[in-house]
Amino acid sequence: MLIDSFLQGLEMAMRLDTFAMVAAGLVMGMFVGALPGFTTVMAMAVLLPLSFFLEPLVGIPFLIGVYKGGIYGGSIPAILVSMPGTGAAVATTFDGPALTRKKKSRKALEIALFSSVFGDLSSDIVTILCIGPIALIAMRIGPPELAVVMILSLIIIAVTGGGYLVKGLIMMLLGLLLSMIGQDPIGALSRFTFDIFELRSGIPLLPLLIGLFALPEILIAIENKAATAIKGRIDVKAGGRLTFEEFRGCFRTICRSTVIGTGIGMIPGVGQVVAAFMGYAAAKSASKTPEKFGTGELEGVAAAEAANNAVNGPTLVPLLTLGIPGDNVTAILLGAFVAQGLRPGPQLFNEQGSLVFAILIAMLLANVLFLFIGYFLIPLFARVVTIRKALLLPLTVVFAFAGSYIFRSDPMDLYILVTFGVFGYIAKKLSYDVTPLVMGFILGPILEYSFGQTVTMSQGDLFGYILFNRPIAVAILVATPFVCYLLWRRSKRMRQVFVAAG
Amino acid sequence: MESGPRDPGRAAAGVKRFNFNTAIAIGFVVLAVLLFLAIPTQIETPLVIFGQSLNALDPKLFPSIVAVGFLILGGVYVFISLSMTDENGLAKLDREAVVNVSVSVAAFVAYAWLMEPIGFIPSSALLIGGLSVFYGLRNIALMLAISLGVPTLMYFVFTRGLKVFLPEIPEL
Repeated sequence: MLIDSFLQGLEMAMRLDTFAMVAAGLVMGMFVGALPGFTTVMAMAVLLPLSFFLEPLVGIPFLIGVYKGGIYGGSIPAILVSMPGTGAAVATTFDGPALTRKKKSRKALEIALFSSVFGDLSSDIVTILCIGPIALIAMRIGPPELAVVMILSLIIIAVTGGGYLVKGLIMMLLGLLLSMIGQDPIGALSRFTFDIFELRSGIPLLPLLIGLFALPEILIAIENKAATAIKGRIDVKAGGRLTFEEFRGCFRTICRSTVIGTGIGMIPGVGQVVAAFMGYAAAKSASKTPEKFGTGELEGVAAAEAANNAVNGPTLVPLLTLGIPGDNVTAILLGAFVAQGLRPGPQLFNEQGSLVFAILIAMLLANVLFLFIGYFLIPLFARVVTIRKALLLPLTVVFAFAGSYIFRSDPMDLYILVTFGVFGYIAKKLSYDVTPLVMGFILGPILEYSFGQTVTMSQGDLFGYILFNRPIAVAILVATPFVCYLLWRRSKRMRQVFVAAG
Repeated sequence: MESGPRDPGRAAAGVKRFNFNTAIAIGFVVLAVLLFLAIPTQIETPLVIFGQSLNALDPKLFPSIVAVGFLILGGVYVFISLSMTDENGLAKLDREAVVNVSVSVAAFVAYAWLMEPIGFIPSSALLIGGLSVFYGLRNIALMLAISLGVPTLMYFVFTRGLKVFLPEIPEL
């Protein structure tokens, strides 16, 4: 069955409009990634509404293109002006700017591109190989197992996020509370509407996502006007192109970082930043000349870039098989699926397995386009670094507002957008991660619905039913504290590596 | 099982004091109490026929769990917050940042308020023009071209290309 779905997906993915929109997504992602202070998440949040009006097989690969392009794009300002375009590119600043000072910026940008494409492509292949067996297991689980998997994932997201655990858990509860405003998912009875008509249908997902992920970045970027302009001319032609020998010299490092990034991508909530630092630290400790790291070593750039891009594919595994987003990027992708009338998870795989495979194959093809677009447009994206943000920031605001408005044509959504934008900004300033909030908001109604179904199935004896009839649910429940403890310990260790690396 | 950033000096000294985290933690405890008060009046009761509820799950159950969660976590947070050492980023903002952020938020609210009454293109042109000048753009010709051109292009792409609605300029 999986092979059939894969072959059908292969046929479905071979569409010119899918290719064109993936290419558009890559260009937009690289453009935004190349702008210091503009993040990939922000670009995805702002461009998310565009995907609603495209077919799923065009709109979702478009967003995946933005994601892939954005992560690579972040390395361009990191290499050229020592300002990481995205958090994932911070580790690239250790060697990238030093290479620019040595007049080897073109080599640095090319090794960053090739490492990114290699890491991304390899991890996507692993994702496709892994997703089938995982989906087969996921298709056998019922509402009780789904409910406990939701509980486990919510706790994992809160545990593996940055900062204090209690803050992550509080944000998750806040997301659950917000998801309860409107109607309950079982009987459609009104909850916490305070007789406000606009609240009867609940808080819309789109303004919440754009508000929490895009507006705070804009507000942070504008705190100091002086920081909005990069002066001077950037020469990317100096030093010549990367040679095959130089690439071969970095190949072992690229492979190592790809394995690290792929492994980290499978752990929800850890992400590209930690992967890049771990990849860099591993390359440095494996090197015969570790003292050269930080002074302009091509291997340093390759290690960080292969690791951060290798995270991209595996993060989709829990989303597509169980419907659980592992980080803020996959939460945005979940929003895109939901708006298209698709609910990622076991059912989607069961009913539209070919569509899921088509999206994954489009993701593979995106890497080929990524290589060509990146290679030929490097000089163009290098110029993007110097574009004045005084113009781009207001344009981004207009995109965010238009995107929030078009879905329901309700002006109330604009106020919700601003409210969550300000909330997200304050949360950032007070060291709260909003990702658990978004996860709680998205997964809350699904958890409640699955739990309601479980209660119905149990016919009044919930405890006995779970204990004697649903061994997998019991196993997951028992394993939850241990898994959370192990992940917490691992993410703590990863953060220590992150701090030790600089 | 806490893993937040710590100031080694203070942590080593074991200093405990009231800080912004404590205030927020108390706020969450208050929120829990307010939730307990709101649940009986703000959640509809399911119909009961022949002594049997029509809802498999009481709609008050999950909100009650969340309220209990806020109460417990809020209490733990109050206790832990006394030794927390993460920085209050809002208190560290300089005057320029406060002015820039406040003006930007005010502009966002005004934009939300104006979009329907005056239409997407004029309200967007005002926002782009106003904010870009405020953010430091001094090339007026470029500002005018972008603030009028981009919203007009967006309007036609969204309404004609994607077939979605954006507020029109009202007829006088």
